[in-house]
Amino acid sequence: MKAISPTRFGGGVFDCPVCAEVNNFDPQPYLNEAKMVRLMNRDAQMAVVAARLALENAGIKARSAYRPDEIALFGATGLAGLPLGEVAPLITASTGSNGLFDLDLFGRLGLKAVRPILSFKILSNMPFCFVSINEGIQGPNAIYAPWEGNGAQAVEAGIRALSTGDAKCSLVGGCDVKTHELAFASLQQLGLFSSWCSTGTGIVPGEGAAFLVLEMERDARARGARMYGAVSSFSFRTSCPGKAMSQTREDVLQGLNAQGAVSAVVSSSSEVHSSEIKESSLLKSARISAGITLRPKPYVGDLFAAAAPLQLALGALLTEAGGAQVLVNCFGHGSTQAAFLLDKI
Amino acid sequence: MRNRVVITGMGVCTGIGGSIAAFWEGLTAGRSGICLVSVFDASALPIRIAGEVKDLNLSKLKCAFPAAAGERDRKIWLGLEAAGQAVRDAGLEEEMLSDALLVVGVSLETFFLGDVSALARTGSATRTLQGILQAPQAPWLQTPLDRLTQILGDHYRQAGGRYTNCSACAAGTQAIGEGFRMLRDGMVKVAVVGASDSVLNPLAMGGFSLLQILSKENHTPERACRPFDATRQGTVLGEGAAFLVMETLEGALQRGARIYSEVLGYGSSLDAYRVTDPEPDGKGAALSMAKAITDAGLRPEQIDCVNAHGTGTPKNDIAENRAIKQALGRRAFEIPITANKSMTGHLIAASGAVEATASVLTLFENTVPPTINLAHRDPDCDLDYVSEGSRPFKGQTVLSNSFGFGGQNATLIFGRYE
Repeated sequence: MKAISPTRFGGGVFDCPVCAEVNNFDPQPYLNEAKMVRLMNRDAQMAVVAARLALENAGIKARSAYRPDEIALFGATGLAGLPLGEVAPLITASTGSNGLFDLDLFGRLGLKAVRPILSFKILSNMPFCFVSINEGIQGPNAIYAPWEGNGAQAVEAGIRALSTGDAKCSLVGGCDVKTHELAFASLQQLGLFSSWCSTGTGIVPGEGAAFLVLEMERDARARGARMYGAVSSFSFRTSCPGKAMSQTREDVLQGLNAQGAVSAVVSSSSEVHSSEIKESSLLKSARISAGITLRPKPYVGDLFAAAAPLQLALGALLTEAGGAQVLVNCFGHGSTQAAFLLDKI
Repeated sequence: MRNRVVITGMGVCTGIGGSIAAFWEGLTAGRSGICLVSVFDASALPIRIAGEVKDLNLSKLKCAFPAAAGERDRKIWLGLEAAGQAVRDAGLEEEMLSDALLVVGVSLETFFLGDVSALARTGSATRTLQGILQAPQAPWLQTPLDRLTQILGDHYRQAGGRYTNCSACAAGTQAIGEGFRMLRDGMVKVAVVGASDSVLNPLAMGGFSLLQILSKENHTPERACRPFDATRQGTVLGEGAAFLVMETLEGALQRGARIYSEVLGYGSSLDAYRVTDPEPDGKGAALSMAKAITDAGLRPEQIDCVNAHGTGTPKNDIAENRAIKQALGRRAFEIPITANKSMTGHLIAASGAVEATASVLTLFENTVPPTINLAHRDPDCDLDYVSEGSRPFKGQTVLSNSFGFGGQNATLIFGRYE
């Protein structure tokens, strides 16, 4: 089932005409305090819901399976999801008769036109602070931004926290909302919609959040947890000037030591537009063959900061379903490119 | 095997000094960098004061970093200045930089309200944005959070891993802490780590003023930020950046680098309390300190100085005072504690990096800088907050705290290198 539909905004202004929205989204059942929702942006609401679902799925509640300070929280967030509608009253009150933004009006009238909680909505770390508050998590933490590779970094940080003994459990994930006008304008300015002009296809911005619960195998076994799969290796590379992105991604795959056959690949590509680097070619160069390939982006859109955790969640499901080894690629915009290899337990 | 990690280069840019020498001279002299804002006309804003960087040489920076030429966001320039200083100070060769790790702390994208003023006329976000997108050479509506990371990384052809940490006021401390851990665990040999921030724009200053956490003392800017003082009324925003070059001790010794100090430990925690307030008993902050002390392999009685988060807000300072006592026990009453924000203002993401730099200099220069504007003792802030001026220091360790909006806490511990 595809969630992609024409945007409800834009009217042809943006090169990309579609997006992938989460319809009928209601975070209230997942919040410990109902009034928290008025402080939260949509990305924070989605993060809180996805984090609760992940913890429930793992059978973990802070203060029961692990102490609150034994649970780490590493996340990734995208470009600030500030819908222009939120600041429209401020802009209107701050614009002079000449049509220009007026600092005097802004100070005297504009600030009175917005709610004081606006700041809490635009701070990039807030989604994960809400997660920590809602779940009582107090352990090691960090938040990265703003692209797919940075979501992969959050997962890697969670793995490191476990392997160094900093945490006994890591809640890792990402959230992003790109289904509003300002996000579309920013993505267009960054050139991410360019293939829509040339080929009529391209990146489809989406919205959502995805979280994973990571534990050391012995701890998961000790508490009788359901285990989807094991992270057997991961590989990160940084693209920089003078090196083709395709080479950087090929290096990522080489770094996994995964030559040969894998049961499945979770691709970060949509493979629909010609300007995209084809993952199939990269796999061929890295001498990796795949039984099946799963491509979530044509269905849920590109979740940017949330894409890597989502793809890893799909990889984990494939592993549990019988895949001996599943390759999860996290190749997206930005300089950080990554991939994970999941093994069946 | 765990590597020892040392600091071999530093760069800083704040309202009290645009170089390490000027910053340290200002800090130890107890000079305030807080003034009436001049980077934009803030005269109609409820809060008109901030720690502003005055001596930023933009034309020089534009020559040094041509890729940044069109940037409007001041945190980009401040970050480039500080990182450039640190790399030069460390004397890193190009080859070492290409394999270096880069971790950059920032807080939020700068959004220029004037860009969308057409919204008032059109009443339509779409038509407003259409106008912007159709304009030739239109500047970015939002500076991507990783823009500074990207410019720095590309400039130095750095490919050893790039992280953009956006953990609000804890971002700078976390950036350094994450780099330290990766060096210690042998993942990299050299790291350029730090943070940059500027909230000196109408939306950010206006937005923060709505939260009722800022001092309203526009008439006495240099006295407006009074951490741990009984009469404190709130914090004062600021802008700045600081970057450190960190290396494994082995690598630093091999290339004959100057060593400022050693990084001993790092810890982070979450309050899990409220986004609007710190946990009043300071438990989350104490947890961060305790984790850093354990990570460093130290005992609380081996901490010799604290560089406090010390924002100057009534609630934060009491919570931190309690947290320090919880984490250090009796030792909390025996050691000097300093709050640099009294002079720099609150640099949000950059505050931890700037205060880490001050902590390193405390060890290297054998001096604890003062907490200025502390004239009235608060009975709830009952520790030794170094209010009389700089104090000679012979201790072995300095602990530096950062506590972010939303309850993110981070702590670093630096040790004297001998």
